[in-house]
Amino acid sequence: MTQLDENEAPGQAQPETIKAVPVRHPGRWVAVFVLAVLTAMFVHMLVTNKAFQWSFIIDNAFRPPVIEGVRTTVALTVFAMIIGIALGIVFAVMRLSPNPILAAAAWLYTWFFRAVPRLVLAILFGNMAILYQKIRFGFPFDTWLADRLGLDINGTIFSIDARTFLSGFMAGLLALALSEGAYMAEIVRAGILSVNPGQNEAAQALGMSRLLTMRRIVLPQAMRVIVPPTGNETIAMLKDTSLVAFVPVTNELFFRLEAIGSRTFQIFPMLVAACIWYLMLTSVLLVGQYFIERYFARGAASERAGMRLRALGGSGG
Amino acid sequence: MAAQGTTQPAQEAAGLVVKAENLHKQFGRLAVLRGIDLEVKPGEVMCVIGPSGSGKSTFLRCINHLEKINGGRLWVNGHLVGYRQKGDRLYELRDREVAAQRREIGMVFQQFNLFPHMTALGNVMEAPCRVRREGKQVVRERAVKLLDRVGLADKVDTYPAQLSGGQQQRVAIARALAMQPTLMLFDEPTSALDPELVGEVLDVMRQLAVDGMTMVVVTHEMGFAREVGDSLVFMDGGVVVEQGHPREVLSNPQHPRTQDFLSKVL
Repeated sequence: MTQLDENEAPGQAQPETIKAVPVRHPGRWVAVFVLAVLTAMFVHMLVTNKAFQWSFIIDNAFRPPVIEGVRTTVALTVFAMIIGIALGIVFAVMRLSPNPILAAAAWLYTWFFRAVPRLVLAILFGNMAILYQKIRFGFPFDTWLADRLGLDINGTIFSIDARTFLSGFMAGLLALALSEGAYMAEIVRAGILSVNPGQNEAAQALGMSRLLTMRRIVLPQAMRVIVPPTGNETIAMLKDTSLVAFVPVTNELFFRLEAIGSRTFQIFPMLVAACIWYLMLTSVLLVGQYFIERYFARGAASERAGMRLRALGGSGG
Repeated sequence: MAAQGTTQPAQEAAGLVVKAENLHKQFGRLAVLRGIDLEVKPGEVMCVIGPSGSGKSTFLRCINHLEKINGGRLWVNGHLVGYRQKGDRLYELRDREVAAQRREIGMVFQQFNLFPHMTALGNVMEAPCRVRREGKQVVRERAVKLLDRVGLADKVDTYPAQLSGGQQQRVAIARALAMQPTLMLFDEPTSALDPELVGEVLDVMRQLAVDGMTMVVVTHEMGFAREVGDSLVFMDGGVVVEQGHPREVLSNPQHPRTQDFLSKVL
């Protein structure tokens, strides 16, 4: 569109391109100078301050127990987010349901799990075995009814020992996933509400059911709004996995690094190692988020709008 | 389909595509439709005109049950819309049965409402594939043919955001036709378009009328109504004020309210 064809305008000659003196920005140069000095000071401190013990960090931050901790942390993050997102979608749809009982139940869930801190939840689930010796699946109220009626009935289909089921990992995972589900429910709800109601009507007019409309039309469009805060949540989750040390889960990344720190009395270097590990893992997540966002943005903006945006970005592209 | 198998076509509406009898619709305390009686015969193109707030869009939305009626009766192809009658009682239809009724009715919206995350072809194929569960290959062939019919054979793989308003509305028409409806509803299909794009959409609709599609068109395009319409309905204040052959109503309106409206828009 912006290409100028020389043959096209017979009347007007193409004028000379403007060459003007650009506006000077002395403030920017001062800021660059100040930042450069501060950065140099910081790097100098990192290198010369003996307390960092860089060689100790490098020797210890990648040892097998730490790598196992990384594995646990990543597994906790992935599983807690998968369960959390699934719960979030279910509770968001319930919350928006015309059925007031479903909506109230969803509200109650988000109210409870957003109100209780994750640390408290983690410890609570870690001690759940005090409440139940066995976790049984079967008909409800069977033993209670049996007592009342003087009958000997047992509705249990199968049962497992609570201590075996609620291992540290499971308890920690449940606490994180249930808590995440409450936050995700609000994020998904915002996403669903952001979709133009006309989309729903168009789908209904084509004879699509409510469920099909949600799955094929509304949720894919809601994803554009849902994905960025979900990226935030995933990063927060990665860091919150360190809370399961209180369940206690002993093969988790931060616990492992801190253990090395306290055993060798080199506490600070191991804290630095933790920072480095979390930085690396978060960076990987950010790359993933970029690609997911790009996928769900398909069809969202015309190519021309994209070109305009890139042009505004200027030299950035 | 299930809904239609269980009820016998009502005698009152035999041979008609749409029949409305004393139709009432309220939003809270606001009465939008206050007794509409209308009949649409097979192959008829009915144009509905009237000032904004006259209830013409609401009437259209009642026909495919996007709005629930509060009183009166409404039949499409001889079947009550949204209800089943047993004796004197009306039973609400389940969502699934309402959806089945809607498959017979195509609707085109003022704001197009194309699915932005799907290509033009994806938009057209979605409902036949997912709702009627037809084979992908069959649907694809039909969809390409439909897009060709609305003059967009070269835009098959384009997303809606890259199409002009007129092109988007033509995709929306193709999308509705893909379900092979017996009735097409148009809710001010050209009102959101640039003036120079109105023609291309009206051309597609004119061709559809020539091919014998039954259509109810809410519009402000008096030229279209005069040329293509078989009947013209003027609505105001939730009632039908005047109806008749478009040429007669437009050139020789009987009711003072119609005369007043037409003097402003013509």
